[in-house]
Amino acid sequence: MSTRRERPPTSYALAGPAGLWMLVALVVPTLFIVWVSLWVARGFTLASPLTLANYGKFFARPAYVHVLGDTVQQALVMMVITGVVGYSIAYFLVVHVRRPGLQLALFLGLVVPFWTSALIRTIAWIPFLGVNGVINQALLAIGAVDRPVEAFLFSRAGITLAQVSFYTLLATGPVVYTLRNIPRSLPEAAQCLRATPLHVFWLITFPLTLPGVVIGQILVFLNVMADFATAQAIGGHKYAFLGNLVILLYESGQFSFAAVVSVLLMTTMLLGVALLLKVVDIRRFGEP
Amino acid sequence: MIAWRTRQRLVKGALGAVTVLFLAYQWLPMLTMAVLSFTGPEGGTTFPMRGVSLHWYRELLRVQMVDDFKPPLARSVALALACSVTTAALALAAAQAMRARFLGSRIYFYLILLGVMAPGLLVGFGVALLARALGLGLAWYTSTFAVHIVWTLPFGFLTMLAVFNRFDRRLEEAALTLRATHWTTFWRITFPLVLPGVIGAALFGFTLSYDEFARSLFATGPEQTLPLVIYAQFDRQLQPTLYAIGAVTTAVSLGAVALFACLVRLFRRRTLTRARAVPAPNIP
Repeated sequence: MSTRRERPPTSYALAGPAGLWMLVALVVPTLFIVWVSLWVARGFTLASPLTLANYGKFFARPAYVHVLGDTVQQALVMMVITGVVGYSIAYFLVVHVRRPGLQLALFLGLVVPFWTSALIRTIAWIPFLGVNGVINQALLAIGAVDRPVEAFLFSRAGITLAQVSFYTLLATGPVVYTLRNIPRSLPEAAQCLRATPLHVFWLITFPLTLPGVVIGQILVFLNVMADFATAQAIGGHKYAFLGNLVILLYESGQFSFAAVVSVLLMTTMLLGVALLLKVVDIRRFGEP
Repeated sequence: MIAWRTRQRLVKGALGAVTVLFLAYQWLPMLTMAVLSFTGPEGGTTFPMRGVSLHWYRELLRVQMVDDFKPPLARSVALALACSVTTAALALAAAQAMRARFLGSRIYFYLILLGVMAPGLLVGFGVALLARALGLGLAWYTSTFAVHIVWTLPFGFLTMLAVFNRFDRRLEEAALTLRATHWTTFWRITFPLVLPGVIGAALFGFTLSYDEFARSLFATGPEQTLPLVIYAQFDRQLQPTLYAIGAVTTAVSLGAVALFACLVRLFRRRTLTRARAVPAPNIP
Protein backbone atom coordinates (compact mmCIF):
# COMPACT_ATOMS: atom_id res chain seq x y z
CA MET A 1 0.00 0.00 0.00
CA SER A 2 1.37 3.37 -0.90
CA THR A 3 1.80 5.84 1.90
CA ARG A 4 -0.75 8.58 2.12
CA ARG A 5 0.76 11.99 2.69
CA GLU A 6 -0.75 15.30 3.66
CA ARG A 7 -2.42 16.75 0.58
CA PRO A 8 -1.86 20.41 -0.30
CA PRO A 9 -5.52 21.46 0.34
CA THR A 10 -5.08 20.40 3.98
CA SER A 11 -1.78 22.27 4.03
CA TYR A 12 -3.41 25.52 2.89
CA ALA A 13 -6.12 25.17 5.52
CA LEU A 14 -3.51 24.58 8.21
CA ALA A 15 -1.17 27.33 7.02
CA GLY A 16 -3.98 29.84 6.55
CA PRO A 17 -4.62 31.20 10.06
CA ALA A 18 -0.95 31.95 10.89
CA GLY A 19 -0.29 33.43 7.44
CA LEU A 20 -3.41 35.57 7.58
CA TRP A 21 -2.48 36.83 11.04
CA MET A 22 0.97 37.93 9.82
CA LEU A 23 -0.57 39.64 6.78
CA VAL A 24 -3.19 41.56 8.75
CA ALA A 25 -1.13 42.49 11.82
CA LEU A 26 2.29 42.94 10.21
CA VAL A 27 2.41 43.32 6.42
CA VAL A 28 -0.64 45.56 5.98
CA PRO A 29 0.33 47.96 8.84
CA THR A 30 3.90 48.17 7.50
CA LEU A 31 2.72 49.01 3.99
CA PHE A 32 0.31 51.50 5.53
CA ILE A 33 3.28 53.29 7.19
CA VAL A 34 4.88 53.65 3.75
CA TRP A 35 1.63 55.10 2.38
CA VAL A 36 1.20 57.54 5.29
CA SER A 37 4.79 58.75 4.83
CA LEU A 38 3.68 60.14 1.46
CA TRP A 39 0.72 62.08 2.83
CA VAL A 40 0.86 65.85 3.12
CA ALA A 41 1.89 66.91 6.60
CA ARG A 42 -1.33 68.62 7.74
CA GLY A 43 -4.40 66.53 8.41
CA PHE A 44 -4.66 62.79 8.70
CA THR A 45 -7.00 61.44 6.03
CA LEU A 46 -7.02 58.58 3.56
CA ALA A 47 -7.89 61.08 0.82
CA SER A 48 -4.64 62.99 1.28
CA PRO A 49 -2.70 63.72 -1.92
CA LEU A 50 0.69 61.98 -2.17
CA THR A 51 3.99 63.85 -1.98
CA LEU A 52 7.69 63.23 -1.37
CA ALA A 53 8.02 66.55 0.47
CA ASN A 54 8.27 64.84 3.88
CA TYR A 55 11.42 63.02 2.80
CA GLY A 56 12.89 66.27 1.51
CA LYS A 57 12.17 67.86 4.89
CA PHE A 58 14.00 65.05 6.69
CA PHE A 59 17.18 65.34 4.66
CA ALA A 60 17.10 69.15 4.79
CA ARG A 61 17.41 69.09 8.60
CA PRO A 62 21.00 68.25 9.69
CA ALA A 63 19.75 67.31 13.19
CA TYR A 64 17.62 64.49 11.75
CA VAL A 65 20.34 63.25 9.42
CA HIS A 66 22.62 63.20 12.47
CA VAL A 67 20.20 60.91 14.30
CA LEU A 68 20.27 58.53 11.32
CA GLY A 69 24.08 58.58 11.35
CA ASP A 70 24.21 58.07 15.13
CA THR A 71 21.87 55.07 14.91
CA VAL A 72 23.96 53.36 12.23
CA GLN A 73 27.19 54.20 14.07
CA GLN A 74 25.84 52.74 17.32
CA ALA A 75 24.85 49.55 15.46
CA LEU A 76 28.36 49.25 13.95
CA VAL A 77 30.09 49.79 17.31
CA MET A 78 27.83 47.18 18.91
CA MET A 79 28.51 44.70 16.09
CA VAL A 80 32.26 44.97 16.65
CA ILE A 81 32.06 44.60 20.45
CA THR A 82 29.48 41.81 20.54
CA GLY A 83 31.23 40.08 17.63
CA VAL A 84 34.53 39.81 19.49
CA VAL A 85 33.11 39.11 22.97
CA GLY A 86 30.41 36.79 21.61
CA TYR A 87 32.86 34.74 19.55
CA SER A 88 35.28 34.42 22.49
CA ILE A 89 32.50 33.11 24.74
CA ALA A 90 31.23 30.68 22.09
CA TYR A 91 34.73 29.34 21.40
CA PHE A 92 35.43 28.87 25.10
CA LEU A 93 32.10 27.11 25.69
CA VAL A 94 32.43 24.67 22.80
CA VAL A 95 36.17 24.04 22.53
CA HIS A 96 37.58 24.51 26.01
CA VAL A 97 34.80 23.45 28.39
CA ARG A 98 34.74 19.66 28.28
CA ARG A 99 32.66 18.80 31.34
CA PRO A 100 28.97 18.61 30.31
CA GLY A 101 27.78 19.84 33.73
CA LEU A 102 29.92 22.98 33.61
CA GLN A 103 28.94 23.56 29.99
CA LEU A 104 25.25 23.43 30.92
CA ALA A 105 25.74 25.74 33.90
CA LEU A 106 27.58 28.36 31.81
CA PHE A 107 25.02 28.01 29.04
CA LEU A 108 22.11 28.57 31.46
CA GLY A 109 23.95 31.52 33.01
CA LEU A 110 24.07 33.11 29.57
CA VAL A 111 20.55 32.26 28.40
CA VAL A 112 18.35 32.73 31.49
CA PRO A 113 18.37 36.58 31.39
CA PHE A 114 16.89 36.33 27.87
CA TRP A 115 13.72 35.02 29.50
CA THR A 116 13.30 38.10 31.69
CA SER A 117 12.05 41.58 30.91
CA ALA A 118 14.43 43.73 28.83
CA LEU A 119 12.86 46.81 30.40
CA ILE A 120 13.63 45.62 33.93
CA ARG A 121 17.17 44.77 32.87
CA THR A 122 17.55 48.30 31.52
CA ILE A 123 16.25 49.86 34.73
CA ALA A 124 18.62 47.61 36.70
CA TRP A 125 21.55 49.37 35.02
CA ILE A 126 20.63 52.76 36.51
CA PRO A 127 21.88 52.13 40.09
CA PHE A 128 25.06 50.82 38.45
CA LEU A 129 25.92 53.77 36.28
CA GLY A 130 24.94 56.84 38.32
CA VAL A 131 27.28 59.25 40.13
CA ASN A 132 26.58 57.33 43.35
CA GLY A 133 26.34 54.12 41.39
CA VAL A 134 27.99 50.79 41.99
CA ILE A 135 30.68 51.27 39.33
CA ASN A 136 31.71 54.63 40.79
CA GLN A 137 31.67 53.30 44.35
CA ALA A 138 33.90 50.42 43.28
CA LEU A 139 36.29 52.71 41.40
CA LEU A 140 36.51 55.06 44.41
CA ALA A 141 37.06 52.17 46.78
CA ILE A 142 40.02 50.79 44.86
CA GLY A 143 41.36 54.32 44.36
CA ALA A 144 41.23 54.26 40.57
CA VAL A 145 39.54 57.66 40.54
CA ASP A 146 39.30 60.37 43.20
CA ARG A 147 36.03 61.89 41.95
CA PRO A 148 32.97 60.00 40.76
CA VAL A 149 32.86 59.65 36.98
CA GLU A 150 29.78 61.34 35.57
CA ALA A 151 30.20 59.94 32.09
CA PHE A 152 28.40 56.62 32.70
CA LEU A 153 24.77 57.67 33.07
CA PHE A 154 23.09 59.85 30.43
CA SER A 155 25.83 59.11 27.90
CA ARG A 156 26.50 57.07 24.78
CA ALA A 157 29.05 55.07 26.78
CA GLY A 158 26.35 54.10 29.29
CA ILE A 159 23.97 53.10 26.50
CA THR A 160 26.70 50.95 24.94
CA LEU A 161 27.59 49.34 28.29
CA ALA A 162 23.99 48.28 28.80
CA GLN A 163 23.44 47.16 25.21
CA VAL A 164 26.51 44.92 25.32
CA SER A 165 24.97 43.07 28.25
CA PHE A 166 21.68 42.59 26.33
CA TYR A 167 22.84 41.68 22.84
CA THR A 168 26.10 39.70 23.16
CA LEU A 169 24.06 36.53 23.54
CA LEU A 170 22.66 37.06 20.01
CA ALA A 171 26.20 36.97 18.61
CA THR A 172 27.20 33.95 20.71
CA GLY A 173 24.30 31.61 19.93
CA PRO A 174 24.73 31.06 16.16
CA VAL A 175 28.53 30.70 16.56
CA VAL A 176 28.05 28.01 19.22
CA TYR A 177 25.82 26.18 16.75
CA THR A 178 28.31 26.32 13.84
CA LEU A 179 31.29 25.47 16.07
CA ARG A 180 29.50 22.35 17.34
CA ASN A 181 28.99 21.18 13.77
CA ILE A 182 32.70 21.16 12.89
CA PRO A 183 33.96 17.57 12.94
CA ARG A 184 36.91 17.19 15.30
CA SER A 185 38.82 15.37 12.58
CA LEU A 186 39.24 18.55 10.51
CA PRO A 187 41.45 20.56 12.89
CA GLU A 188 43.18 17.32 13.89
CA ALA A 189 44.06 16.57 10.27
CA ALA A 190 45.50 20.05 9.89
CA GLN A 191 47.54 19.62 13.05
CA CYS A 192 48.93 16.31 11.77
CA LEU A 193 50.08 18.22 8.70
CA ARG A 194 51.98 20.55 11.07
CA ALA A 195 49.69 23.58 10.89
CA THR A 196 50.16 25.89 13.86
CA PRO A 197 47.10 26.46 16.10
CA LEU A 198 46.77 29.97 14.65
CA HIS A 199 46.73 28.56 11.12
CA VAL A 200 44.15 25.96 12.11
CA PHE A 201 41.94 28.70 13.49
CA TRP A 202 42.19 31.11 10.55
CA LEU A 203 42.16 28.56 7.75
CA ILE A 204 39.75 25.96 9.11
CA THR A 205 37.73 26.92 12.17
CA PHE A 206 36.92 30.54 11.44
CA PRO A 207 35.78 30.09 7.81
CA LEU A 208 33.53 27.21 8.90
CA THR A 209 31.91 29.35 11.60
CA LEU A 210 31.49 32.38 9.32
CA PRO A 211 27.78 31.72 8.59
CA GLY A 212 27.14 31.71 12.34
CA VAL A 213 29.11 34.94 12.77
CA VAL A 214 27.11 36.65 10.03
CA ILE A 215 23.76 35.51 11.43
CA GLY A 216 24.81 36.80 14.84
CA GLN A 217 25.83 40.13 13.31
CA ILE A 218 22.49 40.40 11.53
CA LEU A 219 20.62 39.79 14.80
CA VAL A 220 22.72 42.38 16.67
CA PHE A 221 22.38 44.91 13.85
CA LEU A 222 18.58 44.56 13.68
CA ASN A 223 18.15 44.78 17.44
CA VAL A 224 20.40 47.78 17.99
CA MET A 225 18.85 49.65 15.06
CA ALA A 226 15.37 49.06 16.53
CA ASP A 227 16.37 49.76 20.14
CA PHE A 228 14.93 52.94 21.60
CA ALA A 229 14.21 51.95 25.21
CA THR A 230 17.88 51.73 26.25
CA ALA A 231 18.63 55.15 24.78
CA GLN A 232 15.56 56.63 26.44
CA ALA A 233 16.12 55.09 29.88
CA ILE A 234 19.90 55.35 30.15
CA GLY A 235 20.46 58.27 27.81
CA GLY A 236 17.84 60.20 29.78
CA HIS A 237 16.14 61.86 26.77
CA LYS A 238 19.52 63.41 25.84
CA TYR A 239 20.27 60.92 23.10
CA ALA A 240 17.95 59.95 20.29
CA PHE A 241 18.12 57.13 17.82
CA LEU A 242 15.65 56.77 14.96
CA GLY A 243 13.19 54.90 17.19
CA ASN A 244 13.18 57.72 19.74
CA LEU A 245 12.57 60.19 16.93
CA VAL A 246 9.50 58.21 15.83
CA ILE A 247 8.08 58.39 19.37
CA LEU A 248 8.83 62.10 19.66
CA LEU A 249 7.12 62.91 16.35
CA TYR A 250 4.17 60.62 17.09
CA GLU A 251 3.58 62.27 20.45
CA SER A 252 3.59 65.72 18.84
CA GLY A 253 1.00 64.53 16.30
CA GLN A 254 3.29 64.65 13.23
CA PHE A 255 2.14 61.28 11.95
CA SER A 256 3.29 61.45 8.35
CA PHE A 257 6.71 62.70 9.41
CA ALA A 258 6.98 59.91 12.01
CA ALA A 259 6.11 57.53 9.15
CA VAL A 260 8.98 58.97 7.08
CA VAL A 261 11.45 58.25 9.89
CA SER A 262 9.98 54.73 10.22
CA VAL A 263 10.41 54.05 6.51
CA LEU A 264 14.02 55.28 6.62
CA LEU A 265 14.69 53.05 9.64
CA MET A 266 13.24 50.00 7.88
CA THR A 267 15.12 50.78 4.66
CA THR A 268 18.42 51.09 6.52
CA MET A 269 17.76 47.78 8.27
CA LEU A 270 16.98 46.02 4.98
CA LEU A 271 20.08 47.49 3.32
CA GLY A 272 22.26 46.39 6.23
CA VAL A 273 20.92 42.85 6.14
CA ALA A 274 21.36 42.67 2.35
CA LEU A 275 24.99 43.81 2.72
CA LEU A 276 25.69 41.28 5.46
CA LEU A 277 24.18 38.48 3.37
CA LYS A 278 26.63 39.35 0.60
CA VAL A 279 29.43 38.20 2.91
CA VAL A 280 28.29 34.63 3.09
CA ASP A 281 25.61 32.32 1.71
CA ILE A 282 23.31 31.99 4.70
CA ARG A 283 22.02 28.63 3.49
CA ARG A 284 25.37 27.15 4.52
CA PHE A 285 24.29 27.68 8.13
CA GLY A 286 23.79 24.27 9.66
CA GLU A 287 25.96 22.37 7.20
CA PRO A 288 28.86 20.49 8.75
CA MET B 1 56.31 21.96 21.98
CA ILE B 2 56.25 23.30 25.51
CA ALA B 3 55.80 26.86 24.25
CA TRP B 4 52.81 25.64 22.25
CA ARG B 5 51.21 24.10 25.35
CA THR B 6 51.72 27.30 27.32
CA ARG B 7 50.21 29.39 24.59
CA GLN B 8 47.21 27.08 24.37
CA ARG B 9 46.71 27.44 28.12
CA LEU B 10 47.03 31.22 27.89
CA VAL B 11 44.35 31.37 25.19
CA LYS B 12 42.07 29.16 27.25
CA GLY B 13 42.63 31.33 30.33
CA ALA B 14 41.92 34.54 28.42
CA LEU B 15 38.73 33.20 26.82
CA GLY B 16 37.60 31.77 30.16
CA ALA B 17 38.17 35.14 31.80
CA VAL B 18 36.09 36.89 29.12
CA THR B 19 33.27 34.39 29.66
CA VAL B 20 33.25 34.67 33.46
CA LEU B 21 33.55 38.46 33.39
CA PHE B 22 30.71 38.69 30.91
CA LEU B 23 28.49 36.47 33.06
CA ALA B 24 29.18 38.71 36.06
CA TYR B 25 28.54 41.77 33.90
CA GLN B 26 25.22 40.36 32.74
CA TRP B 27 24.00 39.21 36.15
CA LEU B 28 25.29 41.87 38.57
CA PRO B 29 22.78 44.62 37.67
CA MET B 30 19.86 42.22 38.11
CA LEU B 31 21.18 40.87 41.40
CA THR B 32 21.90 44.40 42.64
CA MET B 33 18.35 45.41 41.84
CA ALA B 34 16.99 42.39 43.72
CA VAL B 35 19.16 43.18 46.78
CA LEU B 36 18.25 46.89 46.77
CA SER B 37 14.54 46.07 46.65
CA PHE B 38 14.86 44.93 50.29
CA THR B 39 16.18 48.28 51.51
CA GLY B 40 14.53 49.99 54.50
CA PRO B 41 11.69 52.59 54.27
CA GLU B 42 14.21 55.48 54.14
CA GLY B 43 16.41 53.70 51.65
CA GLY B 44 17.22 55.19 48.27
CA THR B 45 17.79 53.70 44.84
CA THR B 46 21.49 52.98 45.31
CA PHE B 47 23.95 51.70 47.92
CA PRO B 48 24.40 51.97 50.87
CA MET B 49 21.22 50.18 51.96
CA ARG B 50 19.34 51.66 54.91
CA GLY B 51 18.44 48.53 56.80
CA VAL B 52 16.64 45.47 55.49
CA SER B 53 12.85 45.32 55.14
CA LEU B 54 9.93 44.21 53.05
CA HIS B 55 8.66 47.81 53.08
CA TRP B 56 8.67 48.32 49.28
CA TYR B 57 6.92 45.02 48.65
CA ARG B 58 4.20 45.97 51.16
CA GLU B 59 4.01 49.30 49.35
CA LEU B 60 3.26 47.43 46.11
CA LEU B 61 0.30 45.71 47.75
CA ARG B 62 -0.92 48.83 49.55
CA VAL B 63 -0.85 51.50 46.83
CA GLN B 64 -4.27 51.91 45.29
CA MET B 65 -4.67 54.78 42.86
CA VAL B 66 -2.12 55.96 40.31
CA ASP B 67 0.76 53.61 40.95
CA ASP B 68 -1.33 50.49 41.40
CA PHE B 69 0.53 47.69 39.66
CA LYS B 70 -2.06 45.00 40.32
CA PRO B 71 -4.55 45.57 37.45
CA PRO B 72 -1.75 45.91 34.84
CA LEU B 73 -0.15 42.76 36.24
CA ALA B 74 -3.46 40.90 35.86
CA ARG B 75 -3.84 42.23 32.29
CA SER B 76 -0.29 41.20 31.36
CA VAL B 77 -0.77 37.68 32.72
CA ALA B 78 -4.12 37.29 30.93
CA LEU B 79 -2.59 38.56 27.68
CA ALA B 80 0.42 36.25 28.08
CA LEU B 81 -1.86 33.24 28.64
CA ALA B 82 -3.88 34.08 25.52
CA CYS B 83 -0.66 34.50 23.50
CA SER B 84 0.64 31.22 24.89
CA VAL B 85 -2.36 29.17 23.72
CA THR B 86 -2.66 31.02 20.38
CA THR B 87 1.05 30.73 19.59
CA ALA B 88 1.07 27.00 20.32
CA ALA B 89 -2.02 26.33 18.17
CA LEU B 90 -0.99 28.52 15.20
CA ALA B 91 2.63 27.30 15.27
CA LEU B 92 1.58 23.64 15.38
CA ALA B 93 -0.80 24.10 12.43
CA ALA B 94 1.70 26.15 10.42
CA ALA B 95 4.57 23.71 10.97
CA GLN B 96 2.33 20.71 10.17
CA ALA B 97 1.38 22.48 6.92
CA MET B 98 5.05 23.09 6.06
CA ARG B 99 5.75 19.34 6.13
CA ALA B 100 4.00 18.92 2.77
CA ARG B 101 6.03 21.72 1.08
CA PHE B 102 3.01 23.27 -0.65
CA LEU B 103 3.27 25.82 -3.45
CA GLY B 104 4.47 29.07 -1.91
CA SER B 105 5.77 27.41 1.26
CA ARG B 106 9.11 29.21 0.90
CA ILE B 107 7.46 32.63 0.86
CA TYR B 108 5.20 31.49 3.69
CA PHE B 109 8.30 30.60 5.75
CA TYR B 110 9.75 34.09 5.28
CA LEU B 111 6.37 35.70 5.94
CA ILE B 112 6.24 34.13 9.39
CA LEU B 113 9.90 34.92 10.12
CA LEU B 114 9.27 38.56 9.23
CA GLY B 115 7.76 38.87 12.70
CA VAL B 116 11.20 38.55 14.32
CA MET B 117 12.93 40.86 11.86
CA ALA B 118 10.42 43.73 11.93
CA PRO B 119 11.29 46.41 14.52
CA GLY B 120 8.76 46.07 17.34
CA LEU B 121 8.16 49.76 17.80
CA LEU B 122 7.18 50.15 14.15
CA VAL B 123 4.81 47.17 14.17
CA GLY B 124 2.89 48.87 16.96
CA PHE B 125 3.17 52.21 15.17
CA GLY B 126 1.70 50.76 11.97
CA VAL B 127 -1.23 49.19 13.82
CA ALA B 128 -1.87 52.44 15.71
CA LEU B 129 -1.87 54.45 12.45
CA LEU B 130 -4.17 51.95 10.76
CA ALA B 131 -6.59 51.97 13.69
CA ARG B 132 -6.64 55.77 13.69
CA ALA B 133 -7.32 55.93 9.94
CA LEU B 134 -10.13 53.38 10.20
CA GLY B 135 -11.55 54.97 13.33
CA LEU B 136 -11.05 51.84 15.43
CA GLY B 137 -10.10 51.90 19.09
CA LEU B 138 -6.96 50.33 20.57
CA ALA B 139 -7.07 47.88 23.47
CA TRP B 140 -4.72 45.43 25.12
CA TYR B 141 -6.99 42.47 24.30
CA THR B 142 -7.33 43.36 20.59
CA SER B 143 -4.52 45.40 18.98
CA THR B 144 -1.84 44.57 21.56
CA PHE B 145 -2.78 40.88 21.37
CA ALA B 146 -2.48 41.00 17.55
CA VAL B 147 1.02 42.53 17.56
CA HIS B 148 2.25 40.26 20.36
CA ILE B 149 1.36 37.19 18.30
CA VAL B 150 3.37 38.64 15.40
CA TRP B 151 6.39 38.54 17.76
CA THR B 152 5.77 35.20 19.52
CA LEU B 153 4.56 33.12 16.57
CA PRO B 154 7.92 32.91 14.69
CA PHE B 155 9.62 31.51 17.81
CA GLY B 156 6.93 28.86 18.23
CA PHE B 157 6.99 28.13 14.49
CA LEU B 158 10.78 27.57 14.44
CA THR B 159 10.49 25.35 17.52
CA MET B 160 7.84 23.19 15.82
CA LEU B 161 9.81 23.03 12.55
CA ALA B 162 12.83 21.74 14.49
CA VAL B 163 10.64 19.14 16.22
CA PHE B 164 9.11 17.91 12.94
CA ASN B 165 12.60 17.78 11.39
CA ARG B 166 13.56 15.04 13.80
CA PHE B 167 10.16 13.37 13.57
CA ASP B 168 10.05 9.73 12.43
CA ARG B 169 7.47 9.74 9.62
CA ARG B 170 7.31 5.92 9.63
CA LEU B 171 5.29 6.02 12.86
CA GLU B 172 2.47 7.87 11.12
CA GLU B 173 2.77 5.68 8.04
CA ALA B 174 2.40 2.61 10.22
CA ALA B 175 -0.83 3.99 11.70
CA LEU B 176 -2.17 4.91 8.26
CA THR B 177 -1.31 1.44 6.95
CA LEU B 178 -3.35 0.03 9.81
CA ARG B 179 -6.31 2.01 8.47
CA ALA B 180 -6.30 4.81 10.98
CA THR B 181 -7.74 8.02 9.53
CA HIS B 182 -5.55 11.10 9.15
CA TRP B 183 -7.46 12.65 12.07
CA THR B 184 -6.90 9.68 14.40
CA THR B 185 -3.27 9.38 13.33
CA PHE B 186 -2.63 13.00 14.14
CA TRP B 187 -4.20 12.96 17.61
CA ARG B 188 -3.06 9.46 18.67
CA ILE B 189 0.45 9.37 17.15
CA THR B 190 1.73 12.74 15.97
CA PHE B 191 0.42 15.06 18.66
CA PRO B 192 1.66 13.11 21.72
CA LEU B 193 5.10 12.83 20.13
CA VAL B 194 5.46 16.53 19.37
CA LEU B 195 3.80 17.67 22.62
CA PRO B 196 7.10 18.76 24.25
CA GLY B 197 7.63 21.08 21.26
CA VAL B 198 4.09 22.44 21.58
CA ILE B 199 4.77 23.22 25.24
CA GLY B 200 7.99 24.96 24.18
CA ALA B 201 6.03 27.09 21.70
CA ALA B 202 3.52 27.92 24.44
CA LEU B 203 6.38 29.00 26.71
CA PHE B 204 7.70 31.39 24.04
CA GLY B 205 4.18 32.75 23.68
CA PHE B 206 3.87 33.37 27.40
CA THR B 207 7.20 34.94 28.34
CA LEU B 208 7.77 36.97 25.17
CA SER B 209 4.31 38.51 25.46
CA TYR B 210 4.51 39.00 29.24
CA ASP B 211 7.76 41.01 28.94
CA GLU B 212 6.98 42.84 25.70
CA PHE B 213 7.34 46.61 25.78
CA ALA B 214 8.26 47.97 22.32
CA ARG B 215 5.27 46.48 20.49
CA SER B 216 2.81 47.49 23.21
CA LEU B 217 3.91 51.13 23.34
CA PHE B 218 1.78 52.49 20.48
CA ALA B 219 -0.71 49.64 20.14
CA THR B 220 -2.22 49.66 23.64
CA GLY B 221 -5.20 51.77 24.63
CA PRO B 222 -5.79 53.51 27.96
CA GLU B 223 -5.74 50.25 29.94
CA GLN B 224 -2.01 49.55 29.99
CA THR B 225 0.01 46.38 30.44
CA LEU B 226 2.61 45.95 33.19
CA PRO B 227 5.77 46.91 31.20
CA LEU B 228 4.07 50.14 30.06
CA VAL B 229 3.09 51.08 33.61
CA ILE B 230 6.59 50.25 34.86
CA TYR B 231 8.08 52.47 32.19
CA ALA B 232 5.72 55.36 32.92
CA GLN B 233 6.57 55.16 36.64
CA PHE B 234 10.29 54.96 35.84
CA ASP B 235 10.01 58.03 33.61
CA ARG B 236 8.44 60.01 36.48
CA GLN B 237 10.70 58.91 39.30
CA LEU B 238 12.99 56.00 40.12
CA GLN B 239 11.87 54.51 43.45
CA PRO B 240 12.69 51.29 45.25
CA THR B 241 9.10 50.18 44.46
CA LEU B 242 10.32 49.72 40.90
CA TYR B 243 13.04 47.38 42.13
CA ALA B 244 10.41 45.42 44.03
CA ILE B 245 8.11 45.15 41.01
CA GLY B 246 11.19 44.27 38.93
CA ALA B 247 12.03 41.42 41.28
CA VAL B 248 8.41 40.23 41.25
CA THR B 249 8.05 40.29 37.48
CA THR B 250 11.43 38.57 36.99
CA ALA B 251 10.26 35.88 39.40
CA VAL B 252 7.05 35.44 37.35
CA SER B 253 9.07 35.08 34.12
CA LEU B 254 11.54 32.59 35.55
CA GLY B 255 8.76 30.72 37.37
CA ALA B 256 6.96 30.30 34.05
CA VAL B 257 10.14 28.94 32.41
CA ALA B 258 10.66 26.47 35.27
CA LEU B 259 7.01 25.35 35.15
CA PHE B 260 7.10 24.75 31.40
CA ALA B 261 10.44 22.91 31.67
CA CYS B 262 8.89 20.58 34.26
CA LEU B 263 5.87 19.97 32.00
CA VAL B 264 8.13 19.08 29.05
CA ARG B 265 10.05 16.58 31.19
CA LEU B 266 6.84 15.07 32.52
CA PHE B 267 5.27 14.55 29.09
CA ARG B 268 8.48 13.25 27.56
CA ARG B 269 8.79 10.66 30.31
CA ARG B 270 5.13 9.65 29.95
CA THR B 271 5.50 9.15 26.19
CA LEU B 272 8.64 7.06 26.73
CA THR B 273 7.01 4.82 29.35
CA ARG B 274 4.02 4.28 27.09
CA ALA B 275 6.27 3.45 24.16
CA ARG B 276 8.10 0.88 26.28
CA ALA B 277 4.83 -0.65 27.51
CA VAL B 278 3.96 -1.68 23.93
CA PRO B 279 5.80 -4.88 22.96
CA ALA B 280 8.19 -4.23 20.10
CA PRO B 281 7.03 -5.78 16.81
CA ASN B 282 9.32 -8.23 15.10
CA ILE B 283 10.57 -6.51 11.99
CA PRO B 284 13.04 -8.56 10.00
